[in-house]
Amino acid sequence: MSIQIDRVNKKFGSFYALREVSLNVPAGELVALLGPSGSGKTTLLRIIAGLEIPDDGAVIFHGEEATARHVRERQVGFVFQHYALFRHMSVFDNIAFGLQVKPRRDRPSKSEIRARVHELLKLVQLENLAERYPAQLSGGQRQRVALARALAVEPKVLLLDEPFGALDARVRVELRRWLRRLHDEIHVTSVFVTHDQEEALEVADRIVVMNEGRIVQEGTPEEVYDRPANPFVYNFLGNVNLFHGRIDKGEARMGKISIDLPEYGETADSPAVGYVRPYDIEIGLTRQNPEEIEALIRHIQGAGAVARLELERLDTGGIIEAELTRGRFRELQLRQGDKVFARPRNMRVFATEDYQI
Amino acid sequence: MKSWETTGGGKKKSPPKGLTEPAAVRWALTCTVLLFLGFFLLLPLAAVFSQAMEKGMAAYLAAVREPEAVAAIRLTLVTAAISVPLNLFFGVAAAWAIAKFDFPGKSLLLTLIDLPFSVSPVISGLIFVLLFGLQGWLGPWLASRDIQILFAVPGIVLATIFVTFPFVARELIPLMQSQGKEEEEAAIVLGAGGFATFFRVTLPNIKWGLLYGVILCNARAMGEFGAVSVVSGHIRGATNTIPLHVEILYNEYNYAAAFAVASLLALLALVTLAVKSFAEWRGRTG
Repeated sequence: MSIQIDRVNKKFGSFYALREVSLNVPAGELVALLGPSGSGKTTLLRIIAGLEIPDDGAVIFHGEEATARHVRERQVGFVFQHYALFRHMSVFDNIAFGLQVKPRRDRPSKSEIRARVHELLKLVQLENLAERYPAQLSGGQRQRVALARALAVEPKVLLLDEPFGALDARVRVELRRWLRRLHDEIHVTSVFVTHDQEEALEVADRIVVMNEGRIVQEGTPEEVYDRPANPFVYNFLGNVNLFHGRIDKGEARMGKISIDLPEYGETADSPAVGYVRPYDIEIGLTRQNPEEIEALIRHIQGAGAVARLELERLDTGGIIEAELTRGRFRELQLRQGDKVFARPRNMRVFATEDYQI
Repeated sequence: MKSWETTGGGKKKSPPKGLTEPAAVRWALTCTVLLFLGFFLLLPLAAVFSQAMEKGMAAYLAAVREPEAVAAIRLTLVTAAISVPLNLFFGVAAAWAIAKFDFPGKSLLLTLIDLPFSVSPVISGLIFVLLFGLQGWLGPWLASRDIQILFAVPGIVLATIFVTFPFVARELIPLMQSQGKEEEEAAIVLGAGGFATFFRVTLPNIKWGLLYGVILCNARAMGEFGAVSVVSGHIRGATNTIPLHVEILYNEYNYAAAFAVASLLALLALVTLAVKSFAEWRGRTG
């Protein structure tokens, strides 16, 4: 079932949680709402579920207006950040709840319910824990019970609010891969909220980046990561180096570097910020090019797949972060305190008047 | 939670030195508390029972079986039987509204719930005299229709409900607030209606706190003196509850009988304490 959000506004007191948010989730997709806390992503999720009512705008399920439809008629599955398992019920009863509260004419028989619950327990790999109580489970197990409970009523839409937020790093990674596999198996339209960019990049088909109640960018993980639409997305998705300079009539000058910017052809002498990912900083021991920036290595973090360098510019004193592959790092035999030449590639420049951060 | 969960349990360890007081200080403090408890709680309790039995078991039973005493006991039970269920209902409704929803006037409602605690019981009684007395607002209207509220059972029940109103709500509000409303939201998303949500999710989560509140409410309903004294009219065999009956016997220098009837209330207090500890213990562990 597809979900459409049409110009939704939501205010809490004087705080705008959502402003004119429109979004389209095609059927069967797994979409991540990504943003810092307070960006409105959870509010949007709760509005889709019907747990919050938008001030205006519309929620449309499968082409049908559903804004006024009651939560219990929306046929959504909702997984809460802190699981919200029924603490006095066993795992079995938790999962069976949605089936047991159905009106008598729709309610499956006891044996059907039992069969369905066991099928779900198998799906979430908790077959042996049916009689346990939530307090006797680990965080990861609880979250899987919550997911099984949500899936028991065969929802048309699965909504997950920071589903892995309260788990430790290892379980998180495991569980989000599992969620991805599960989605590939059952193909239910899913929306999940996260503030963890890695999680969004790894799991989602599409990412919706939110900030201050607005959607700032939408796209596949590659699009969002490689071509951030604005400085906010640049800052939010991964580490980034900032370079300050000016734009004048379609040309940006960032120190000694100049870049053609046809889209700013009309802009006359405006301040600008350039963004460069740490892995796009090339390091050399000798000057190859007048654009290169002379810098000292302040700190080296050599453990892991990439070596991270913290460089101090000799001209401005500013800090540049650079990432080198292990091979390149060994080849250069870098030490703390060495003088190197850094060359930024793939710089994206924005006029700063457009965006305040 | 079952017993194999050892959160907070395990072997008791004495705290490291420097975090505890010298033995002499600890002993002195413990003894002071025990002496205080003994003097102010245990001694009076023992006195009640010993005075009650002063003239032997036969006199004790006679005092308790005497028709006026029986009438007082019956009235007390009837009053509690009406006011406790009503307060159970109002208390749960008020706590539910306050803990799970935001609405204008919420803090005013909270203050109003506390009102019976902050007002002297005598004033609580007088409120009803002002309302229903012959000189009161509704008195003439009621009198013209021959409806008796003051100096009759309805007045006693009303005063008791008023005085015992906060117990259940006060017990439940913090509990329900700490539990949040996520479980209810989960139930509704899964398709449960209001009744199913309340009886299958909310109620099981608050049952021990609720029992605790009901026990305290009941103890107060049976033991209330001040407010009931104002509205009762002290008609023997008709509008006397146990506490009022005890007072009358005492004022008539009938000490043995007074203490015998009082011992019933004291017994109720002991049973209440036992059930309350049980409820607390279950509330913590289950």
